Parts: sequence; C-alpha cells; structure tokens
Amino acid sequence: MRGPTAKAFKQGFLRSFLLSLKSCRTGDMSLQERKRAVRSSADAAMATARGGGAIWPRALLASSSSSPSSSSWPGLLLNAAKVKTTRCKSTARRCCRPKRSSSEMIARRLVRKRTKILRGMVPGGELLDSVSLLREAMDYVVHLRAQVAVLRRVSNAMHHMAATSYLTGLDLSRLAQGLLHRVCN
Amino acid sequence: MSSRRSSRGAISEEEINELISKLQSLLPNARRRGSGQASTTKLLKETCSYIKSLHREVDDLSDRLSDLMSTMDHNSAGAEIIRSILRS
Repeated sequence: MRGPTAKAFKQGFLRSFLLSLKSCRTGDMSLQERKRAVRSSADAAMATARGGGAIWPRALLASSSSSPSSSSWPGLLLNAAKVKTTRCKSTARRCCRPKRSSSEMIARRLVRKRTKILRGMVPGGELLDSVSLLREAMDYVVHLRAQVAVLRRVSNAMHHMAATSYLTGLDLSRLAQGLLHRVCN
Repeated sequence: MSSRRSSRGAISEEEINELISKLQSLLPNARRRGSGQASTTKLLKETCSYIKSLHREVDDLSDRLSDLMSTMDHNSAGAEIIRSILRS
C-alpha cells in the first residue's frame, strides 16, 4: 500500500476501531468478553476502512454480524466474482486427458490442497476462483499488516500514556492528542 | 491492481505469473524462485503461514489492549481518552 492510501486506511481504521470500542461498554464485561470485543472491533474496523474494493471486507463483516441482511451477502458476492462452476467444467476436461506422470499429479494435488487451506484463511475465499483468491489474499495481507501496525502503536501509546499519567498526573486529553498524532503518522 | 483480464475474459499466463510474483514479494523472506507447481505450492503454504501469524499478532495485540483498557477503566480514564481522541 502506497503512502497516502496507507495513511487514509490507518486513520479510518483507528477511528472506526475507537468508535466501536466506545460503543461496546467494555467496562461491564468479563475479561474474555472484552478480549473478544476488542478483537472483533479491530476486524470490523479493518473491513469498514477497506471499503468496497475487495470481497474480504464484506465477508468479514457478514461473519461477525448477526443481522438478517448478512445472509444475503453470498448473492452479492457471486455477482462480483467468478462463479466456481466454471472451474468444475475445466476440471472435468482434465480428467479425460491421457494420464500424466505421478509426480505431476502429486504436485497438482498439493496445489489444490494448499489452495483449499488458503480459501479458509481469507474471508470470502470459499466462493472465489483461484486467481481471484490470490488477488484477495494479497489485498488481505496488505491490510492485515496495516491493522497490526496500528494496533501495536495504539497499545504502545496507551501503555505509555497510562504510565505517564500515573507518574505525573498530567492532563490525559493532551496525552491523547499525542497518541492520535503518533499512531496515524 | 493495474492488470486487467484480456478481452476474451480469460486471464493470461503472464498475468498469473505477475500475480504470483507480486504475492511472493509481499511475503517475508521473499526469494527468487523458478516457476512451476512445486514453487506454487510453497508460495501458497507461505501465504497461509503468514496470514496465520498475522492473525496471531492481532490476537495478542487485542489481548494487550483489552488489559490496558481494563486498567484505564479503573481510573475512569478510558472513556475520557476515547472522547478526546474522537473530538480532535
């Protein structure tokens, strides 16, 4: 992700993330509940900040939401991506060809196996053909890295802030401004 | 992505190779590999491992954040911090 795009994504992510945490009322939660809430807020914020340029954000939001509208997203997905049935046709043709060497068959089987695993790791991957899956995986990896980067800076900054305010009694809102500046730049 | 499918609607081998090498460059320990199914398998395996490790990092950081937040809630500082960040 290039500079301005990365910065815009990180800022959007941070904003959505903090808004989501704020609305969660984490103060009333158990430790496990809060951990889950933070994790799902982070994922929802990443998907929201990414927007409509890929499939995985919608899949991620659909899997975390319990609203009835989420059941319709596979239909939206099939309109946007290549349908799996076209792949099955070419597979049938391959089966009718003369036998290949067993090492080649093993290699093919491994590729299929690995592709299947990758499908499970990319949100929405199950409905994509292998080429779209590779594109989605790339996009997903790039945004996962940005998510990790922002979360790390937020937790470092919050840790620093908590320690500083405890020791110095400094005004927390001023420290918070510094956090926002450090995290987004 | 700048690459587009050909007018026939199918994707060319060239585009696939470009896609694969772009993905390769994203992964840690990116090394030049030959083409072929053995390296495709390796690429897929490394992509899966990388995504898995990124997920783990997000988990760990979320845990760390939720611990920090509980500390701040006890000081009733968490809500104030979040409010002031969103105001700016």
